[in-house]
Amino acid sequence: MSKTVLQSANPVPPPTGKPVLQLENLSKTYALGKHEVPALSNLNLTVNAGEFVAIMGPSGSGKTTLLNVIGCIDKPTKGKVLLDGIDATELPENQLYKIRRDKMGFIFQTFNLLPYLNARENVELPMEGRGKSKSEQKQRASELLAMVGLSGREEHRPQRLSAGEQQRVAIARALANNPAIILADEPTGNLDSQNKQGIIKLLANLNLTQGTTIIMVTHDSQVARNTERMLLLKDGKIAKEMQGLHANKKNQICPHCGSRIQIKDEICPSCKKTVYASDDLF
Amino acid sequence: MISIPAGVLANEKTANTVASNLSNLISQTGATINQTLTQIDCSLAPSFSGFGFTPPSGGTGTYRSGGYGGSGSGGSGFTPGQFGGGTIGGYFGGDAFSGGRANPMNETLYSDINSTLSGVAAVEPVLQASEGNNVTRNLDFNGYSRTITTLDVTYTIEGVPLTSDLVGNYPILPTNITAGSNLQAGDSGDVLLSENNSAYFGAGVGDSVSILGQSFTVVGIYSPSSVGDTQMLYMNLSDAQAITNNTGYITSLTVFAQNSGDVSSVASEISALHPELTVTTAQDRESALSTEESTYTTALANANASDSTTNSTAIEEIVVVVLATSLIVLFVMLYTVKERTKEIGTLKAIGFSNSTVMTQFMLEGILLSMIAGVVGIAIGMVAAPTIASTLLPSVGGGARLPTGAVVISGTTRFGGLAVATLTPELVLLGFGVAILLGTIGSLYPAWRAAKIRPAEAMRYE
Repeated sequence: MSKTVLQSANPVPPPTGKPVLQLENLSKTYALGKHEVPALSNLNLTVNAGEFVAIMGPSGSGKTTLLNVIGCIDKPTKGKVLLDGIDATELPENQLYKIRRDKMGFIFQTFNLLPYLNARENVELPMEGRGKSKSEQKQRASELLAMVGLSGREEHRPQRLSAGEQQRVAIARALANNPAIILADEPTGNLDSQNKQGIIKLLANLNLTQGTTIIMVTHDSQVARNTERMLLLKDGKIAKEMQGLHANKKNQICPHCGSRIQIKDEICPSCKKTVYASDDLF
Repeated sequence: MISIPAGVLANEKTANTVASNLSNLISQTGATINQTLTQIDCSLAPSFSGFGFTPPSGGTGTYRSGGYGGSGSGGSGFTPGQFGGGTIGGYFGGDAFSGGRANPMNETLYSDINSTLSGVAAVEPVLQASEGNNVTRNLDFNGYSRTITTLDVTYTIEGVPLTSDLVGNYPILPTNITAGSNLQAGDSGDVLLSENNSAYFGAGVGDSVSILGQSFTVVGIYSPSSVGDTQMLYMNLSDAQAITNNTGYITSLTVFAQNSGDVSSVASEISALHPELTVTTAQDRESALSTEESTYTTALANANASDSTTNSTAIEEIVVVVLATSLIVLFVMLYTVKERTKEIGTLKAIGFSNSTVMTQFMLEGILLSMIAGVVGIAIGMVAAPTIASTLLPSVGGGARLPTGAVVISGTTRFGGLAVATLTPELVLLGFGVAILLGTIGSLYPAWRAAKIRPAEAMRYE
């Protein structure tokens, strides 16, 4: 598998904490026959721009519901979803699709690429209707595919790509409109460990170098450990919050010996240990 | 997939054209009868022998073998082939109007008509003989062929007695002279040609023409009336008898009554005197005409009735086809939408609006119908005749339209067989309907697709 090398020579410094997402007293109840099943109850959360967040929790804890509500593809029963200060729950559908298109980037467990379009066309999809010329779309899609390590694979259809490559195409697609937030629902759930590692590295590097805000749902603790901020969801509430390994890298401190490191360093100059997302983590 | 019974429009056209042709013919013939009210035709030939496809009796023979005959004189106003030459032409002309004259009559046997019957003003003995060839034609109509044998008449000799009384007082000669002059009383060795004769012989006024080996001088050329025989040349009776070796013989007598009120009594006196004669008065001809008129009216009514049956059957078929097609498109598109629920959810999650999704599925449905339309038309082009003849009721089934009376510009029925052709208009119509049905059938599925909620669609496997 291809090694993730980001082209950006001067990494963007971690953005200062301006809230990009605020959830206030968020509740979501599903009606199951006569019973009402609460999925989220009075949840409060603030995510700042540039954060890499993992949402963890057992099955049925409301992880995916939370992600869908954040992504404006599901409406909460009550509460507010503030995106850049705008309450998305107040917006009608003919405004919401623009938010999904321009502010969100979705990554799915099952990749959800369109099978009859090639990799580049899949990446171009969200750019439709945004006033970009076909050639601009094409160029942007090719750049994004290069960024995720798929140069030369632009014309391949999904069935001719490996699972890991398909998820890279999906990540490129999510990045197409330069969204404020990337929402990833179990992005490594269908991948083997090697591909899993590659995707996590890719997301982490995107976060480091591009300042992309990422909110990722996972039940894989190994994957979650490599994020910056881990949220444990239980009974529709955030039960616990921890710092992940990615925070060390971001804070430019070696997790092993505590000495200063550079963002681009993969191995600590002091203790010579692998700083981040090494194979032994998986 | 749609198909439209192609014969429908064509049938209507057929019936309408036949109807208008017939009504023209009937009114023209009626006018001719009125002009000759006092005229009584007498001949030995049985009347009404030449129905339908059979050439008028004697018509197929040549004058030499003694088979003289009305050879479809009334029908010559029609382009040969349009009504099959021997069909309606023979029906009207051969028998009803000219009188079917087949057997030669000894002239002297009938001199008593003029001498003993008081109501008679004049008697015109006539010898009529046709020269021509038996021709077998193979008519081909859209692949359905039929062999027709007819006497192809080149010209008909009409020998009339050129006495000063008859020439001066009775309509024994054509009146519409277009060149030269008419025949005069006592002319011999002279001939009056029709315009067609003139063209056939290549002769004009003053030229001499050879008729059955005898030389005649052309004194004039006439233009035939619309229902008259266009190939009839006139000469003195004695000349005609001589050149056809029929001295003393005639083929018919035309008796002129003193006045029109006497016609029927004179006719019955003639019949009493000579029971072997077939006597036809203007009234007889008129009633024969009205009989035929009613026959044709019935035939047309039947044709129209079966036409409307065809139409309503076709409409039923079209309705069924349209419904079936819409439902097929509907279900195919609904299935497609269901199959692709997750895809639709994905598209919405990555920022496609409801209207974009709806448009997408509408276009897909329409494209599907367009492809189906093209395939359907291609199949239709090959199979339309078979489909039409199998599915459509036969026009004129039970209606006594003259057998073989056919041919309206390309699309028609021949002997009860439906012949369907796909016109460009029909192809375009079919294509348009295909697109329309595709649009209708796609509306609901596309709307369903647009209304899918992405969060639920994501859960759909």
